[in-house]
Amino acid sequence: MKRTLALAAAVFATAAAAGTATAPAAHTGTSLVGAGSTFVAPLVAQWTPAVASAYGYELQYSPIGSGGGINAVTGRTVDFGASDAPLSPDQFTACKGCAQIPWALSATSVIYNLNGVKNLLHMDGPTLAKIFAGQISSWDDAAIKKLNPGVSLPSQKIAVVHRSDNSGTTFNFTDYLSSASPAWKSATGTGVAVNWPAGTGAKGSSGVAAAVGQTPGGIGYVDVAYAKANHLKFLAMKNRSGKFTTPGLRGILAAATSDQKPDGTNALSIVNPPKKYPLAYPISTYTYVIVPLQSSKAADLKKFLFWAVTKGQAFGPRLLFQPIPKSVLVVAEKTIKQIHS
Amino acid sequence: MSTHSLTKAALRAEGLPRRRAVNRLMELLAWLAAALAVAILGIVVWSVARRGAGALNLDLLTKTPVQFSLVPVKQGLANAFAGSLVIVALATAMALPVGILVAVYLMEFARPALRTAVSLTLDVLNGVPAIVIGIFVYGLLVLGHGQSGYAGSFALACIMLPLVARSTMEVLALVPSSLREASLALGVPRWRTTLSIVLPQTIGGIVTGTVLAVARVAGETAPLLFVSSLVGTQVSWDPHHALQTVPVAIFELAESPDPADHTRAWAAALVLLIFILFASLGARWLATRSARRMSTAR
Amino acid sequence: MSSTDLTGDATRRPFTGRRVRFGDVSLQAVAGAAAAAATLLVFLIAYKVVRGAQPAIVRYGIHFVTRVAWDPVKNVYGAGSFLFGTAVTSLVALAIAAPLAIGIALFLTELAPRRLRAPVTALVETLAAIPSVVIGLWGILVLGPILRDHVEPALHGALGFIPLFGAPSTTGSSIFTAVVVLTIMILPIVASISRELFLGVPRDLKEGALALGTTRWEMVRGVVFPYARGGIAAALILGLGRAVGEAIAVTQVIGGGVGIHWNLFATGDTLASKIAASYQGAQSNIQLSSLVYLGLILLVFSLVMNASAQVIVRRTARRHGAPRGAAG
Repeated sequence: MKRTLALAAAVFATAAAAGTATAPAAHTGTSLVGAGSTFVAPLVAQWTPAVASAYGYELQYSPIGSGGGINAVTGRTVDFGASDAPLSPDQFTACKGCAQIPWALSATSVIYNLNGVKNLLHMDGPTLAKIFAGQISSWDDAAIKKLNPGVSLPSQKIAVVHRSDNSGTTFNFTDYLSSASPAWKSATGTGVAVNWPAGTGAKGSSGVAAAVGQTPGGIGYVDVAYAKANHLKFLAMKNRSGKFTTPGLRGILAAATSDQKPDGTNALSIVNPPKKYPLAYPISTYTYVIVPLQSSKAADLKKFLFWAVTKGQAFGPRLLFQPIPKSVLVVAEKTIKQIHS
Repeated sequence: MSTHSLTKAALRAEGLPRRRAVNRLMELLAWLAAALAVAILGIVVWSVARRGAGALNLDLLTKTPVQFSLVPVKQGLANAFAGSLVIVALATAMALPVGILVAVYLMEFARPALRTAVSLTLDVLNGVPAIVIGIFVYGLLVLGHGQSGYAGSFALACIMLPLVARSTMEVLALVPSSLREASLALGVPRWRTTLSIVLPQTIGGIVTGTVLAVARVAGETAPLLFVSSLVGTQVSWDPHHALQTVPVAIFELAESPDPADHTRAWAAALVLLIFILFASLGARWLATRSARRMSTAR
Repeated sequence: MSSTDLTGDATRRPFTGRRVRFGDVSLQAVAGAAAAAATLLVFLIAYKVVRGAQPAIVRYGIHFVTRVAWDPVKNVYGAGSFLFGTAVTSLVALAIAAPLAIGIALFLTELAPRRLRAPVTALVETLAAIPSVVIGLWGILVLGPILRDHVEPALHGALGFIPLFGAPSTTGSSIFTAVVVLTIMILPIVASISRELFLGVPRDLKEGALALGTTRWEMVRGVVFPYARGGIAAALILGLGRAVGEAIAVTQVIGGGVGIHWNLFATGDTLASKIAASYQGAQSNIQLSSLVYLGLILLVFSLVMNASAQVIVRRTARRHGAPRGAAG
């Protein structure tokens, strides 16, 4: 009987091993481990098989949020981090010799769930700030009605959903709200996590997308790739020149032209661009890869990052990532060259 | 009710009908409690079986997860099953020899005072919450170096060590001292006696203890969250990198809002449950069999 | 001294005039090294946890333990909210599980027909073997919705005047769900230890009481409980320790809230569940260090509870005169 048991166990183990072995075989090349922003995760997911076939690298990327990514690369538990929020001076110091490189460009969409109401409802920054501050609580409020003449809005309660984890998307969104509404700036401000005056928290972009999708009257913010994948309705935002724009490639590109010069730490701010960019979508953002300038995997990291900012950008448009402009590309490549072992 | 009044009442058969009624009530409550325990177990196992069985297909074992896709795609958890196999096997390889050696030292060489002191520390180690072990291994092996399957195995080995050591000590205590004395009297060296005479008697108990320890850590999630969670989607057998494991995969899928993810989580939970139940019941059966053999041998 | 000790002593002394065997010395050395390593491991764990918590200890001091705040934006952290969560969830779960577990143990030792004893015992111990992540999965997807849609509104409707039964949760994740999950998890531990204790009560004591005409329940109350009193206390403490240390199942169902609320249906967090939830996404060194500080408090709790249980066990063993081996 003992032999039967042992035999059964052996059969089970062999079956499990055989089953997993017939799965796509592991690449025996180098693996590059990264973690951070959920914003750039869809793009990195497209990069993974491409990089594997081009160089044999295995990309292991975990979307744990921008804050987690910065912390992970600071503790050198990963080879690279990814963050939509640029590093603060304190974070640069803590990271001890890290560089941030803009490697993708996209936007945050404001999704909503209102049955019977058309897609691309009009909205502007100050009104949006009031909604997320809990000061406007119904969809048929006068301020929203004024932006949407001729649209019949239901008297549905607005259910605000925000991110519960440390998120670069939150940083982008609150950065926009602070820029558009001085009241929001002084009361709540900008950050990867803030003290939300109203609403419930959900984890990850998928969490927010799901929460809004399941709550009538829900409103939330997610990177536009998630909105597209889940076929969610999103708002058309009024930019500084008075036009209502959407988070498409055109709107993102126009926003990017408003700041083409990365600053000393390679950070760029393209939120709420000034009047002379009429096509700009005001909640666009760059997202950065954070790398230690000195790494044992320097050669592989450089090859991967060069590929990402050049050939990798071609995978972007399908997911509403706009290829980064030439001027930014030049700066990015210069920084990548500085990585050494 | 003091013993004295209890006896007095009993002897005088006072208030018998009321006492009998109270007794009936208590017996009923005890039956209900047992029924509740069985029911809870049944409900949980049935939930997992019902929701998991439907999703249990070969895809789960052969396909890898897909992190983001614009269209629905067939996925599985092949990387998690592979990673769990590797990490648990390595953990057993780390904990088993050390556990046996600790038990041998405590039962064969140590003075009673030392034995008590060290087995006290083993009990303390057993009582450390798994999440604190995760923090410990993170600080020791991951910070500055990166996550790895080795770190995951080490964390699980810390949990297994007291279990293996304790069960080996219990079986070693059962070996009759006459056996040792006879061997020594015949001139067999001490170390030979221990390794070739005493230990073989305890194989059954060691196997049982190890299988139970494996069943315990196969489902352990907390430490692996810290030391082997930043993983890719490919199947990998290399413990130098972080490996996905079944319990961590279930944990992450459970948090997702996507019902397809939930289905995969149930299926993985079912496989895990079958493995653990198989192992626990098997070990228990083995234990009763070897205990019976031991007692008849004496 | 057991016979093994006598033999051990005799054989440990090397024969006079004969050189000590290399094999004996090596085995003792290797095995001794393993034992030393195992002992050192515990101290190393304590040391590493203290080191990791050091920045937070230096910055917040002992007030951290009582402060009710967790603000990543302003970098103000404290354990108060989570100590409260740990206390409420573990104690309520123990209060519910203890009578149930003792009832099960009594059933298995006194009432169950012979044929039922082994299977039901195996079933109870199998409940203990279910991994916490699976119970958590069941908690989020099955238990949570049932509590949210049926049980909590009913309790709120019937007992809403008590602050404990305030507004029902919106997602099914709440302190109440965590309590139910913890009860399920500590039930088998307390039940199996109690069962072993009750089995150890000398038969002649029990039969003596019955012979005097007591009912079964009176015998249990008058003989079994007083005899096993110390052991039951130890079992309860061990169950409590299990509940306090449980991170995964709790974090899956407790909803992740900060602050002290009396409403059982509100979200909350325990020491262990907060660590599990926030560790990966921690964004600054001080936040990470504060989480390790939570871990340190948790470690101290577990050590104290473990030690108390051990003390009670040994004192009970001495009282009952049974020689307790090192296996405990």
